Amino acid sequence: MSTEIEDFIKANKKDFDTDRPKADMWAKIEEVLDKEDKKKKVNLLMWIGIAASVIVLMSITLLYISPLKKERVNLADVNPAYAKKQLRFASLIEEKRDSLEVFAASDPELYKKFNGDLSQLNRAYEDLKKTLPSSPNQQLVVKAMVKNLEIQLQLLNQQLSIISEVSAYKKENSI
Amino acid sequence: MNTKTLEAVYIDKNIELVNGCRKGDREAQFALYKLYEKAMYSAALRILNHEGEAEDVLQEAFLEAFTRIGDFRGDTTFGLWLKQIIIHKSINSLRKRKAEIVSLDGVDVAEEVLSDERAMEWKVEGIKAAMKELPDGYRVVLTLYLFEGYDHEEISHILKISEATSRTQLMRAKLKLKNMLEKKGARDEYRN
Repeated sequence: MSTEIEDFIKANKKDFDTDRPKADMWAKIEEVLDKEDKKKKVNLLMWIGIAASVIVLMSITLLYISPLKKERVNLADVNPAYAKKQLRFASLIEEKRDSLEVFAASDPELYKKFNGDLSQLNRAYEDLKKTLPSSPNQQLVVKAMVKNLEIQLQLLNQQLSIISEVSAYKKENSI
Repeated sequence: MNTKTLEAVYIDKNIELVNGCRKGDREAQFALYKLYEKAMYSAALRILNHEGEAEDVLQEAFLEAFTRIGDFRGDTTFGLWLKQIIIHKSINSLRKRKAEIVSLDGVDVAEEVLSDERAMEWKVEGIKAAMKELPDGYRVVLTLYLFEGYDHEEISHILKISEATSRTQLMRAKLKLKNMLEKKGARDEYRN
């Protein structure tokens, strides 16, 4: 039937593509593309701006929050067992310091000397506490802190036993 | 061997241009435009039979291809992908112009058998001119089938008609085209 037209078209498809659009077609396309690019650039700038302010806000909050956070480093977070020890030692030290203070009135000079030794240890303890948040090895620092408390406790024990010996001696002499 | 290497070079060149497009490189976009301008415009014109509308479709299609190049995953060639955009946009545009593309009560075609078909010369320009005379429904089915290589199932989907209608439309389109060409051929013979 009409297979001849069909075959002819199928064999020569490309020869039919002879039509051209108006010459300014590309200029029109380019114009729209340029506008899109500008929009994109504005959008990009806007997003960069938003991202920048978010970063600034975040760093400000971090600056304010992080030192507070660092101070709040919990011994229990580093080592729960040592944290328990620390608590026990601290309350014992408190107790013994109270007993020491009772004695302060009767022998101020000895008390002053004892207290000086104790506060030296205590200063070391505070130093350790300060370095704890930024320390790369927090376990070690906590260990040292607890050891320090232990030494404080031993020192207090010795001080108290000296005091009781001294008071016994005074009693004996006064009789 | 030779054709294969040529083909490979051709594909590589296109991939480079497409990659340039992905980066928004204007020169690559222009190169692709120049490469496909004629084929795409001709395809739109065959469907729409209207230069202004075909130009609008061409502009929209290229813009869509360039701005949505990210959707092109390279499982086909850029040319085929672009052609799909052109065809869909052309048919949508035609649909806007005509509520119903395919009218079954098209022009009645007398099925006269011609004495000597071989005597006829199927000239490209002759066929193109004759196609412009075809009713929209005939022309679109003929174009999709013969030029774009769609089968009747695909045509029925794209035009939202039944496959049987697609077949009938194609048959009638071919008959009418042949008739017109023969008449024209007869006229030319008289002139000579």
